Amino acid sequence: MANLFDVKLVFTEIPSILRYLPTTLWLTLVAMLIGLVLGLLIALVRLKNIPVLTQISIAFVSVIRGTPIIVQLYISYFGIPILLKYINYYHGTDYDINAIPGIVFAMAALGLNQAAFDSETIRSAIQSVEPGQIDAARSMGMTGFQVLKRVIVPQAGAVALLPLGNSVISLIKGTSLAFTCSVIEITAAGKILAGRNYRYFEVYCSLALIYWVITFLLERLIKWLETLVTVPEEAPELDAQGNLHIRRGKREKVIRASDLGVNDILQSMNGGGV
Amino acid sequence: MSYIEIRGLSKRFGSNVVLDHVDLDIEKGDVIALIGPSGTGKSTLLRCLNLLEKPESGQITIAGKTYDLTSRHSREINELRSHTEMVFQQFNLFRQKNALENVMEGLTVVKGLDQDTARKIAVEQLVKVGMQDRLFHYPRHLSGGQQQRVAIARALAMDPLLLLMDEPTSALDPELVGEVLQTVRSAAQEGNTILLVTHEMPFVRSVANRVIFLENGRIVADGTASDIFEHPQNERLKKFLIHISMLEES
Repeated sequence: MANLFDVKLVFTEIPSILRYLPTTLWLTLVAMLIGLVLGLLIALVRLKNIPVLTQISIAFVSVIRGTPIIVQLYISYFGIPILLKYINYYHGTDYDINAIPGIVFAMAALGLNQAAFDSETIRSAIQSVEPGQIDAARSMGMTGFQVLKRVIVPQAGAVALLPLGNSVISLIKGTSLAFTCSVIEITAAGKILAGRNYRYFEVYCSLALIYWVITFLLERLIKWLETLVTVPEEAPELDAQGNLHIRRGKREKVIRASDLGVNDILQSMNGGGV
Repeated sequence: MSYIEIRGLSKRFGSNVVLDHVDLDIEKGDVIALIGPSGTGKSTLLRCLNLLEKPESGQITIAGKTYDLTSRHSREINELRSHTEMVFQQFNLFRQKNALENVMEGLTVVKGLDQDTARKIAVEQLVKVGMQDRLFHYPRHLSGGQQQRVAIARALAMDPLLLLMDEPTSALDPELVGEVLQTVRSAAQEGNTILLVTHEMPFVRSVANRVIFLENGRIVADGTASDIFEHPQNERLKKFLIHISMLEES
């Protein structure tokens, strides 16, 4: 009975599994970036209602959302080589399919999957920005890109932060399916390790711990980012010593009102008026 | 030649003609009030002048250069927009930025000034509109009247040749109207050229040096405040003024 569940093994296996953590994180990072950039583009296409591209975007999002991610990984893993063979055949090129590491297929599939979901989040976040503020920015003379960067992204970003954070959390867990593209990330590594001594249950417990710690840290990071991008609840307060207290979450910043030169301006205005 | 010349400005929404070949000359330091029944294109006229709406035809000469208002060249559009600034009915402050950052935004991003210069100009403008105690307040911390004063500071900081004000007090609680009108008044007294859409007739009488009555997309009457209010010539204008005074008395 003593060997039914080896608690010690759960922890001693962790270092060996963690050697493959960079693969998991790298996969997550690249897929996340593909998802955000492509998701933003799709959202913009749909908001601007650009003909043809809009229809393609709608179809893309519908197909990706309507199929399981594991099927998408298989399609990427088997489909991209077929596509390359096709290109080689008809264009006389000589791309080497075997030179492409499996992780590329996984990045493509997970990235496209993220893009489909993120595009909907980003689209609704952008729609939440008041059109009046965009008018104000445009009437100042900002270019379309400046309006996007200075007005739309900061505001829509604050709205989208939590749902996008959730999407990254599910992405991290989604990378555990990358073995389908012969990528050895932490889950695949765990399975291989367990195959040596048939201690599958212990290894899966180790994996559960690792994933949980990663997502826990990520949740903290998102919380912290949220306090940065959210407009503080409380208005700044001026104390009797002329110091301005600006609270943001738990942090407080103090500015000396006299440093702003307000009094000088007031004095010169009064001086000029008399 | 006038300071600003607007020629042949026309705008339709579908089959509805909102502006019908409007010509308008503006002199430096003019404070022009645009009045008229609702839906006659007053706001649209302002929005066409900085191309928030694209008119069917029209041109504007400002700072010695003539711009085609139907232009699609973004460089020309942005150049024209940099000469005018708009104050909106709904304030339209950037919600993610505090009062100081709102005023600095155009200075750093559009005019390319460095942070210190921009901050200095912004603080000065905010002091002028009486917001010196609220530089770090976000729009959500400010009343409507305070938000509109910040919006006026934001517009004036850009040092526009023409300030467009689209019903700046219409969205305010009655007790907050006064502080904003006072701010508009001092902007006028400082010599800014202002085109103002408003329904505050007593204010128009005391501040505007010229009043334009717009109806069905045409300028029907154009004159000094006393021409328009004391000696109206046009029948439509007379009816409008009677209607307004009835509202004010009731």
